[in-house]
Amino acid sequence: MNINLNQDEKKVALEIEGRLDTTTAPELEETIANCIEGTEELVFDFANLEYISSAGLRVLLAAQKKMNKQGTMIVRNANDVIMEVFEITGFVDILTIE
Amino acid sequence: MDAHCRMIMDEYLENVENYAILKDKVIELLRDAIEKNGIFITGIEGRVKTEKSLEGKLGLKGSKYASIDDVTDVVGCRAITFYSDEADRIAAFVENMFIIDWENSIDKRKVLQQDQFGYMSIHYICRIPESLYHDPERPELNHIRFEIQIRTALQHVWATIYHDTGYKNDVEVPKEYLRKLSRLAGLIEIADDEFRTVRDEIYEYRNHVKGLIKDGRLDDIELNGDSFRGYLEMKPFDRLNRNIAAINSAEIEEANLFGYLEVLKNMELKTLADISSFIDMNYHDAFRLAVHQLSGKDIDIISETLGLQNLCLVSILKNGGGLQGLIRFYDLINGKKPRNSKSAERIMAQAAEIGII
Repeated sequence: MNINLNQDEKKVALEIEGRLDTTTAPELEETIANCIEGTEELVFDFANLEYISSAGLRVLLAAQKKMNKQGTMIVRNANDVIMEVFEITGFVDILTIE
Repeated sequence: MDAHCRMIMDEYLENVENYAILKDKVIELLRDAIEKNGIFITGIEGRVKTEKSLEGKLGLKGSKYASIDDVTDVVGCRAITFYSDEADRIAAFVENMFIIDWENSIDKRKVLQQDQFGYMSIHYICRIPESLYHDPERPELNHIRFEIQIRTALQHVWATIYHDTGYKNDVEVPKEYLRKLSRLAGLIEIADDEFRTVRDEIYEYRNHVKGLIKDGRLDDIELNGDSFRGYLEMKPFDRLNRNIAAINSAEIEEANLFGYLEVLKNMELKTLADISSFIDMNYHDAFRLAVHQLSGKDIDIISETLGLQNLCLVSILKNGGGLQGLIRFYDLINGKKPRNSKSAERIMAQAAEIGII
């Protein structure tokens, strides 16, 4: 998995490439922890995300809970595979997906 | 400005810092007390009379005051409430908190005659008792009088607009406008009463609905925001969610199901009993759909909304809603988005595979 981080003053954009699973989720979790303080807009670009497991969903959930208190979080460009995971878990109702 | 007024003005300028500190302290004490009493208000504001404003006041009636201490509204604070009875509640604890100068305090609502409509606020002239606040370095703060006004938001609007006309009292206002302002004051009095009545009736209705839900009389309860909220407290979708979670030993993440109210209403469900029947009629197929979707997947976390989502999907299909019905469902839940068609197509395919359609 590759993470491209673009950080403006209060906006963070994270482009995730590859697989977000048990092995790679801790890396994303750490990246978020390092940049989320003071962030008012957190955007995930999943255009190149191929797979997401429960571990990945938990990282997104934790970020969403944090952002609910301090701003907004948006998931963009999820492909059909990722969208299906969001739908069959009901995460479409938890995340803001564009 | 004569020498007497000049002297009062000098006293004012010497005390300006104290006035600012006092104003902040009164706001803090008021805000704490209002919060402690569980009252939600639109706001608290405060100000120290400006030099220019005091000059104007002294110019009009300077001889009335022996010293700046006699000008009781140099520091003024105002609590603005939503409802008129909340103004009374705040007034009650203001009387207990502060030392009230009753001679100069007034409830303007009680001054008006039965056939008069006009300015309505409660005005207290107060001092802070040492038991409530005392700064040994500024003992004078306990001696300076200040004004607290309490009024509703509507009364505030009326008073602000009246003040904006530039007239200080009814005597100055041309008859024609006085009549119009009085009519508006009457209207506001009625509106304040009506808002209070609506609030009380809503409160009673919610309690009534809670009682019906508790007694299981779901047939009698119209489906609306209040009843759905009360119904959700009974966790009606929990059994289905737990069964779905058991497919992969998943944990269930708490989520807000309230967004589904519009969907359920769109599906012509009229009462809570209709939801109960809707669950019974679609439970089995909603579970089968989840088994088909989740079995063998590396997924051990689901949203609390999943059970209700699947109930809606299978109900739409079983009632002949087809692809368009599913798209409408996703439009309601997600807002109109291009991806909703793809989501609907995926569900159509899955439903066909397990024989729901």
